[in-house]
Amino acid sequence: MNAPRATSLLCELTYRCNLQCPYCYNPLDLDSYRDELPTETWLRVVAEAAAMGILHIGLSGGEPTLRRDLPEIVAAASRAGLYTNLITQGTFLDDTRLDELLAAGLEHVQISIQAPTEALADQIAGTRVHANKELAIERVMRRNVALTLNCVLHRGNHDAIADVIAFAERHGIAKLELANVQFYGWAYRNRAALLPTRDQIDRALDVVAAARARLAGRMQIAYVLPDYFGDRPKACMNGWGRAFLTVTPDGRVLPCPAAAAIRTLHFERVQDRPLAEIWERSDAFVAYRGTAWMPEPCRSCDRREIDWGGCRCQAFLLTGDAGATDPVCTLSPEHERVIAALGVDGGAPLVPRRMKQPV
Amino acid sequence: MTATVVPRMSRGVRFRRDSDGSAMLLVPEGILRLNDSAAATLELVNGTRTLTAIVDALCARYAVTREDASRDVDDLIERLSRRGYVDR
Ligand SMILES: C[S@@+](CC[C@H](N)C(=O)[O-])C[C@H]1O[C@@H](n2cnc3c(N)ncnc32)[C@H](O)[C@@H]1O
Ligand code: SF4
Ligand code: SF4
Repeated sequence: MNAPRATSLLCELTYRCNLQCPYCYNPLDLDSYRDELPTETWLRVVAEAAAMGILHIGLSGGEPTLRRDLPEIVAAASRAGLYTNLITQGTFLDDTRLDELLAAGLEHVQISIQAPTEALADQIAGTRVHANKELAIERVMRRNVALTLNCVLHRGNHDAIADVIAFAERHGIAKLELANVQFYGWAYRNRAALLPTRDQIDRALDVVAAARARLAGRMQIAYVLPDYFGDRPKACMNGWGRAFLTVTPDGRVLPCPAAAAIRTLHFERVQDRPLAEIWERSDAFVAYRGTAWMPEPCRSCDRREIDWGGCRCQAFLLTGDAGATDPVCTLSPEHERVIAALGVDGGAPLVPRRMKQPV
Repeated sequence: MTATVVPRMSRGVRFRRDSDGSAMLLVPEGILRLNDSAAATLELVNGTRTLTAIVDALCARYAVTREDASRDVDDLIERLSRRGYVDR
């Protein structure tokens, strides 16, 4: 099939990070990404993206503010008319940095916190950072730029959800993203300890509904039911190779930020081939684009162009076959694997995200 | 909705029309494609026009009744403001 127009690019500028969130979806083999693209290659990627019709660019990682050339990359994207969104944990966002980024044309900042209180947040991050993040949030709030506050929810902080909302309220946040942990990378490795319980989710839904009613017109609250607890998969990336692409710190082009885990696919690099060609024609993008690749039950399902068979990375992680129906779908012959995961109780110790994997 | 309300794009929300004429809102989460009528309305949202002025402009430009235009504008602004994309 012909490639649709790509609209969004996620630039993972580096996988370096001073935090050690055990829920991080970054890949486990972080150390193999130390050879990062130089500034001029990122600037070329941005130019190629704009030329192929991409409109929206996310700057993430790892911690993107560890790249000194971040303002330069933002400026290039902004000059090309792209919408720029910085996704950061905020520990390096001092006044100077922030003003540089805004002067470069940054349009939106997303800051993540680990929890609403210092002790729990620092425990999850594996280092003392919460107080600093709170200052960064205040700095952004004092400036004329849109901010979203993000908090990844898992078993260890799900019950603090009311306090996360109160934290956001205290800081005057207009957009709060309560992101249920998705099981890729480090989060997949730590799945047994991170999976929330059904009770936690039921309680959270009540808290969120009440808060939405109370804060209507003041705060948008996103809370999406985690897919392990639903019966149909998410429309992951709006379909493989349909709108989104990700470039990793070392230049690999992925249809989804978690896709490097799919070892049966080969991902081409921006150093070797123009971005537009990789998008249109590379094997990895063509492999699961559209519906022709689908097995039953997706092939004849009336939701096949709604959820596109769910997530390829999740299919690979859970079944070993990236071309299988996403097992979170109750119609999947392998749905048992999700049920089995839900049955495990969370005694397992959390492994903190590290550049070098513990053996 | 009160006719003197002045809607404007929320911070972090940008209207954009492409070379092929298609219109969209660029928002923090991504892209919201707009149909022609929504695009015509949002193009007029500039932080100074009132709802009445927007309806006037639409009536002057397109073959619509005042009643229809007014209802569509109210409806669109209401939906977008509920999602945090327009302030009023
Ligand atoms: C990988 S982080 C990189 C940016 C920055 N280091 C940060 O954490 O904010 C990108 C975004 O994904 C969120 N995130 C990380 N791991 C996640 C997971 N397993 N599921 C859902 N969201 C996750 C983070 O909170 C952050 O908003
Ligand atoms: S999620 Fe945590 S560990 Fe992962 S990149 Fe962001 S701050 Fe670092
Ligand atoms: S069978 Fe496939 S297309 Fe149908 S709902 Fe499940 S994952 Fe989606």
